[in-house]
Amino acid sequence: MSKNSQTQDIAFIEALAEVLKKSGLTEIELSRDDGLDRGITVRISRQPIVGTVNAPLNSIPNPIQTSQNTGLEREISQDPALEAGAVTSPMVGTCFLQSEPETPPFVSIGTKVKEGQTLLIIEAMKTMNHIHASKAGVVKRILVEDGSPVEFGAPLMIIE
Amino acid sequence: MFEKILIANRGEIALRVIRAAREMGIKTVAVHSTADSDAMHVRMADEAICIGPPPSNSSYLSIPAIISACEITGAQAIHPGYGFLSENPKFVQIVEDHGLKFIGPTATHIRTMGDKISAKKTMQALGVPCVTGSEGGVDTLKEAYEIAESIGYPIIIKATAGGGGKGMKLALKQEDLEKAYKMAKSEGRSSFGNEAVYMEKYLQAPKHIEIQVFGDGQGRAVHLGERDCSLQRRHQKILEEAPGPEITEQTRQRIGKLCSNAISKINYAGAGTIEFLYENDEFYFIEMNTRLQVEHPVTEAIYNVDLVKEQIRVASGLPMSFIQEELKINGHSIEVRINAERLPNFSPCPGKITQFHAPGGLGVRMDSAIYDGYSIPPYYDSLIAKIIVHAENRSSAISRLKRALNELIVDGVDTTAPLFDPLLLEKEIIDGSYNIHWLENWLQASAETT
Repeated sequence: MSKNSQTQDIAFIEALAEVLKKSGLTEIELSRDDGLDRGITVRISRQPIVGTVNAPLNSIPNPIQTSQNTGLEREISQDPALEAGAVTSPMVGTCFLQSEPETPPFVSIGTKVKEGQTLLIIEAMKTMNHIHASKAGVVKRILVEDGSPVEFGAPLMIIE
Repeated sequence: MFEKILIANRGEIALRVIRAAREMGIKTVAVHSTADSDAMHVRMADEAICIGPPPSNSSYLSIPAIISACEITGAQAIHPGYGFLSENPKFVQIVEDHGLKFIGPTATHIRTMGDKISAKKTMQALGVPCVTGSEGGVDTLKEAYEIAESIGYPIIIKATAGGGGKGMKLALKQEDLEKAYKMAKSEGRSSFGNEAVYMEKYLQAPKHIEIQVFGDGQGRAVHLGERDCSLQRRHQKILEEAPGPEITEQTRQRIGKLCSNAISKINYAGAGTIEFLYENDEFYFIEMNTRLQVEHPVTEAIYNVDLVKEQIRVASGLPMSFIQEELKINGHSIEVRINAERLPNFSPCPGKITQFHAPGGLGVRMDSAIYDGYSIPPYYDSLIAKIIVHAENRSSAISRLKRALNELIVDGVDTTAPLFDPLLLEKEIIDGSYNIHWLENWLQASAETT
């Protein structure tokens, strides 16, 4: 399995944990089928905080079927590489978000970019390759970490 | 021993390497184009890296992508399979420059054997018999006429950078020479960027006999007998068998020893195949392939060896697991290649396999990357499966092969599997006397009667 789907799975689990925290639920279990014999089943639970455990459970309707959940599923299962404005990797290599260590990153979330502006560097075989924005926009999401490996087609950033 | 190797290939040979590595406890990295995201080799490997879009030039032939894939996964060695970069000396050099190990021979040996003229010179110097021909390139038409007179017609003119049957033109008599010479040069220029040609005596009805050799890179080498690969259509093999039906043990030891001595003298490392034309008990060197061949399983069957494991062993610095004295033939093995091509024209037939069932049972091996629901991409070669049978003798092998072919189901695409039923009933196939022209003659005759 590629690092790409591992990163997505981790993002999925982290988002579920967020739902658990915000909603006050003590346990969520969710199954997702990706097709291609790839699927994920996640159960997240936590120790209930004494005194508040029962009230939230009684007042919230069956959590697995809420639209909030399906909304979440929709959001998480969409492959970022397919989103409009996705910048995908044209090569195999290692990402660097700044030109040198200790220098500021090329862009951050919210940065306005011009067409042709450098977004990040992908290093391959000791050569640094600048990855440019194909059109002007605003950096919406950064999907890779500094120093992480990427394969061809991997989603790097979303520019809108 | 390596902890992790990257397989720079796809399809059935990628599976072959992954399987050997897995048995040796070595982690595997598959590389794939976007067209191969659902391929079996991607699923089977421990890790997979997408290296490019569908065209081979941008993916499986992309040296930077493959080296980068090694860098980000920590693979220590690369197995090139066959085809693609397996005989590219520049690739081998780059691999080594990056501190990685290429599982195969050195760049020098690949380069020497890749150039047909220098390969022939090298083999001649090592005592390997060659077809009489021009001693080197033939630069002018005048020279061509002179050499043709001394060799005697019929003559074949070959592009030195050619391969896979391309860049070869026949001159049956003197009147044909000028046209054949000019066409061979022109094809050499357009297909390989090199118009150097050489000439050889053309043998009328030879067999294609190749010798499997293996070296440890330190001067030790063995031969693993011959394979008869005479059944070819446009120089593409469709059936291979070992041992060769007309080769005696004496002949085998004679030519085998010659080949293993030759490669031991140059300290050859890894698997290699020396291809000959064979006529009237004489061998004539054609070319050497400095890699594993598609048809290696028939040799594995009769000698009970795992050639891919041996390649990995030798590349990691270990000795070969066998010595010549231990290599004894057991039984007979035949392989057939199944292509996704529509008969009778052999036109490529990519598409979705709606139903797949593999043959099984005693003595049946199927090397294939297809599965139920798999879509064969149109970008790569059409080989989809190899069926290899092993039995106690040749006639049992033939009936086992017929039985196995009968069990094979591939629905949704057309394949060349139906070719073999009538083929295996033919006299020259049954008596083993078929030569390198036999298949095309038979296909022609079949086309005429339909």
